[in-house]
Amino acid sequence: MLERTVLHRSHKKLRKGVKNMTRLQSLVGVPFVIGSCLLMMAGCASKSVRSGGDTVALQQERQDRGVSGQEVPDLSPFGQDGGSLRGLDKNPSEERVGSNALVAKSDPGSAARQLDEIRAEQAASVAAGLRDVFFAFDSFVITEEGRQALARNAEWIKSNRGVQLKIEGHCDERGTSAYNLVLGEKRAKAARNYLVELGVSPGQLSVVSYGKERPFCKEHDESCYSQNRRAHMVVKGGS
Amino acid sequence: MSSKTVIVGLCVSAGLVWIIESGATDVFLEATRPDFQKIPVGVVGIADAGGPESPEGRIKLGTRIEEVLKADLRRSLVFSLVDVASLGVKASMLGSEPHPSFKQATEQGASVIVWGKAGMKSEDKDADVNMEAYVYDAGSDELVGGKRYVGSPAVVRLMAHRFADELVFRYTGEPGIARTKIAYVAEQGAARELFVMDYDGYEPRQVTADGFLNLMPRWSPDRRFLVFTAYRHRNTQTIDMIELATGKRWTLVSWGGLNITPTLSPDGNFLAFASSYEGNSELYRMDTRTKAVQRLTVNAAGDLSPTWSPSGRELAFVSDRSGGPQIFLMSGDGTNVRRLTFEGDYNAAPAWSPRGNWIAYVCRTPKKEYKLCLITPDGQKRVQLTTGPGVDDSPSWSPDGRHLVFSSTVEGRSHIYMINADGKDLERITHTGTHNSAPAWSPAS
Repeated sequence: MLERTVLHRSHKKLRKGVKNMTRLQSLVGVPFVIGSCLLMMAGCASKSVRSGGDTVALQQERQDRGVSGQEVPDLSPFGQDGGSLRGLDKNPSEERVGSNALVAKSDPGSAARQLDEIRAEQAASVAAGLRDVFFAFDSFVITEEGRQALARNAEWIKSNRGVQLKIEGHCDERGTSAYNLVLGEKRAKAARNYLVELGVSPGQLSVVSYGKERPFCKEHDESCYSQNRRAHMVVKGGS
Repeated sequence: MSSKTVIVGLCVSAGLVWIIESGATDVFLEATRPDFQKIPVGVVGIADAGGPESPEGRIKLGTRIEEVLKADLRRSLVFSLVDVASLGVKASMLGSEPHPSFKQATEQGASVIVWGKAGMKSEDKDADVNMEAYVYDAGSDELVGGKRYVGSPAVVRLMAHRFADELVFRYTGEPGIARTKIAYVAEQGAARELFVMDYDGYEPRQVTADGFLNLMPRWSPDRRFLVFTAYRHRNTQTIDMIELATGKRWTLVSWGGLNITPTLSPDGNFLAFASSYEGNSELYRMDTRTKAVQRLTVNAAGDLSPTWSPSGRELAFVSDRSGGPQIFLMSGDGTNVRRLTFEGDYNAAPAWSPRGNWIAYVCRTPKKEYKLCLITPDGQKRVQLTTGPGVDDSPSWSPDGRHLVFSSTVEGRSHIYMINADGKDLERITHTGTHNSAPAWSPAS
């Protein structure tokens, strides 16, 4: 019940936020506008969709960012008439049953490469001494402890201007995969927004949500769940 | 009257209807026609006519096919299996003609009798397998017909599945589900990749090997493609499509932000999905031919997990616009939004039955357990399908609307389970691996 109340309150805040866009902007500062604030984005987007002129531009941009030069094949079904079934026959002729190879062989090459990159990122993050932010069940509200962790992280990021930081949103295993991806993004964005409030350049930060798909531990109890409800800070490789 | 007033009005009236209806205690649940009687079938046997040598002795191909066939017939829910051993007939005694004693089959309660044989053409372990099987109808006292299959030893299970589907097709006119597939996500070390397996959990095949995360696959209506939530580049997140036969990949949506829960309309013309590109998670639909995108929801809350009605005219989806996540319905163009679920503070992951009569979803119970529920699209009937501990997730319907697959942690690790739409015959279908999730049942072929 408590978690639900927290969530509900945040939504009220969200709606209020959309209404008071100008006030928010003056609070947060200009750099924030660049693709960073979920509240404002929601507000702006809904306006542009409604106000005709912008819609075309937005649509065009979406198309550019979507399928890149690849034609999507025809996806309509063949029709469901029993497919390749030929019916029972009193004098059946021999029917060859094809191999079961519906699926092409996958190439595990990129898997090994990713693993190496992930290990390098982890090592860099540990060396930087970055702290994670933990959340209550069903919540993306940053606690006092979380603010302290982010304050320390902010100092490190500000003194390492060349570094790119990825903020991963994670959830415990309760709830659905899809809804936890959305919740994980809210957690990552909450941490990102607080870092920006502390003066970190938004250009150094990116967010991604892994929902309940990359848990830190796998036990089915609260001591594990509380570790998985986190915004995890990672120093991006190759920058 | 503003559109908001209409929505509130609809919500209130739907709520009232539900409150009145929930007084009913004997909600009858039947995925097919309520008057449908299963057809009693007796499988005399599939005789062993020679198999390859193995370290454990000669492999009994007939016995193996018979096991698969019987499991298929039981799961079809079209047939019930009847023991016909008392007829005193063995499959090895039979050719393509019915035995005279089959006339007494009705006394054993069997309307249909099935028999056959299977073996290798030669002793060579790579030689072709031959299977033949026949069907006798006790009511009309005549041979219905049979099938003769030939193929490599790798396809013996598929031979049994094909024959089971022929039987279902012969008696119902429907294609059957024995040759359907299930796409799912399996943990591979720290990564999660897409796999496809037979509907009974056999023959798993790896589809992606990106080394990170690929989530929540959905089939194209022609079964040739999967669309899914992809993290090919680890830091960015896209909606991808893969052609199963070739492994060819397309990136359909690569906007900034979270691009998740894609699903193709039954005619393949539209891709519905959620994206947080414009701030918070909203629903969109893309015309798969012109690639034109239309935004379907405009809301300060999260909207996600669209699922098409079988006609393709409506979508059910999840929204937390009223607090916790709830199931909503709308027309395919985003109009006529109304809330469907009112019981409990967490309802998510909807899946619209191919027959149209139910929407399955994950409901959080008063005990804070995540279980499967079903609700009719008019909100009048609601049933909790699973009970007990563990987190149930990602329900997906069989194309015949008689079964669901879903993932559950009821036995600890997440595995994939099958259950009838009436809550009977819970069956675990994955037995290996550290984490199997997000099953999606293919259309029938």
